[in-house]
Amino acid sequence: MSAIAEMPPAIWLLGAAFLLCFTRNRISSALTVLVPLGALALLLQMDQGESLTLSLAGLELQPFQLGPVNRVFGIIFLLISAIGGIYAWHVNDRWQQVMATAYATGALGVTFAGDFFTLLVFWELMAVASAWLVFARRQPDSIRAGFRYLMVHFAGGSILLGGILWHYHETGSLLLTTLSPGDGPAVWLILVGVCVNVALPPLHAWLPDAYPKATVTGAIFMSALTTKSAVYVLLVLFPGWEILVYMGVIMTLYGVVYAVLANDIRQILAYHIISQVGYMVAGVGIGTELSMNGTVAHAYSHILYKALLFMGAGAVIQATGVSRLSDLGGLARKMRPAVWLYMIGAFSISGFPLLNGFISKSIIVSSAGEAHYPVVMLGLLLASIGTFLSTALKIPVFAFWGKDPGLSVRPLPATMYLAMGIVAFLCILYGVAPGLLYGMLPYDRTYHPYTAYHLVESIQILTFTFIGFWVLREKLAGARYIILDTDWFYRRGASLVDAWFVHPVNVLFTVSAFLRGKVVESASRTFRNPYHWFKMNTGPAWAFLPDRERPYLGGIIVWILMAFVLFATAAFLV
Amino acid sequence: MRTYHWILLILLTLGTLLLSYFGPGPSHPHPWDRIPLFYAAFGFFGCILTIFVSKGLGKAVLQKKEDYYERHR
Repeated sequence: MSAIAEMPPAIWLLGAAFLLCFTRNRISSALTVLVPLGALALLLQMDQGESLTLSLAGLELQPFQLGPVNRVFGIIFLLISAIGGIYAWHVNDRWQQVMATAYATGALGVTFAGDFFTLLVFWELMAVASAWLVFARRQPDSIRAGFRYLMVHFAGGSILLGGILWHYHETGSLLLTTLSPGDGPAVWLILVGVCVNVALPPLHAWLPDAYPKATVTGAIFMSALTTKSAVYVLLVLFPGWEILVYMGVIMTLYGVVYAVLANDIRQILAYHIISQVGYMVAGVGIGTELSMNGTVAHAYSHILYKALLFMGAGAVIQATGVSRLSDLGGLARKMRPAVWLYMIGAFSISGFPLLNGFISKSIIVSSAGEAHYPVVMLGLLLASIGTFLSTALKIPVFAFWGKDPGLSVRPLPATMYLAMGIVAFLCILYGVAPGLLYGMLPYDRTYHPYTAYHLVESIQILTFTFIGFWVLREKLAGARYIILDTDWFYRRGASLVDAWFVHPVNVLFTVSAFLRGKVVESASRTFRNPYHWFKMNTGPAWAFLPDRERPYLGGIIVWILMAFVLFATAAFLV
Repeated sequence: MRTYHWILLILLTLGTLLLSYFGPGPSHPHPWDRIPLFYAAFGFFGCILTIFVSKGLGKAVLQKKEDYYERHR
């Protein structure tokens, strides 16, 4: 019994993914919900400090280790996997269920990995399994985006692998430890590899490219797992790296600017993942106990409200078949429950008091102030303005309360509402009772979110952001445009590479094939009747007719005999 | 937006103003804390700045027609 209870959560999910290859319908749906819940129950009972060591081909590995930080990440990953399973209860697509579960396996494997080897294996599993959730939409643009997604993640994984090998060569150990900027190029390679999954600009373009093209249910898992497992790895390897403070602030603002421009509702939300992860990255960079607590707490809160937002947007897309903000409108009356559940997520991400975004975002913002980064603090507050602007004002005002273009709304399965209801409840629960979340945090630092100062700060910012929005709201209406991002370099770059490297090679091959044909043709023409060269042909020049041209057999034998006699004589004489 | 919505927003702002004067101060004060309604101004101008900077960037370089990548394949 104890051996079973001590099995790492990733093993349970891997088993579930394997079983899902054979089960169907309700049993599959039940497995996707119950196995993560069971693994969560076991995880909650495990003692901190528990670990599993293993020696493989002379390498000391630690495929599982439970600490105060990864425990929180493990809990929320399992929780959201189960809720994602409820949201996707109606989906009758075996491989999507298998891959979503395998994806969660990868995220948990990364979260509990104690060594780089284990980390890398699960890292790649995440990339492959999550790409399937994009492919599974089966639209031409999804398939292309899925391939781009896969390519970027393979490139990131390769950079990570390169860094890990280099690091192993230098230190002789594969165990995860805190790295410092002066440790040489190896650690910087590892940082770049991890930052691909963190979606740190300019390495982020895979995220807003692929997430809007994933399946409605797959996007829930994607919004929760990839970036946050990478944030965990940042916390373990790179705490206190000052560059991350500034990169984090840039991330928060970068996501905000793009979200103002984006038109696809899930792309707007995707850019706000980048923005929100920026807070976490800044928290890692500040590196104080308070800021790192803030990063863990914000990852936890973010997964909940972002899943709720993606569920709401997914509900809109599933019900109307429309994902462009410019084509949506008037849904507040047609999809009332989904709209209000979405609004809870939107108010939460915006940092409204009494919701879970407020209690976690404010830790990071306060920690920046405490650690004497006033400009960083104002940068993070500026980003929170943009968050409110796009997720809680732009999308709702146009899609929910905007002019109705006469959309017909299909009814949604009750399980989708159930999943959204559970997450909305959790967003409110943690907002009202922050102690539930703070009690799990790794460092023992008390923090009070509901101080007069924070309330004044939040309420004034939110109120006047709303007024600013109301004055300029016409400017934010969706329009049928796409926005260029750093994926331009490989999407347009691909055609340039094609023009410069692939096309010339193709031309070379075509020309040489043509020349080869000409040479063969002229050779075959020249050699088809050699008698013609000496005008000895008795038949036509264009063909060798054996019956006409062949000399008498006797003549040839005489020639051969003569040659033989000649050689023999020469041999005798010499 | 009806009139009573605006009145509610004004009351809310007045409430925060009272709270910032008579409530407990911040545990870690910042230079801008002495400016009354600092965060209100920050929110308003931050919002306008965000919209104009984003839209400006969009108009200048970032926004393209939806078939941009198809046309350039």
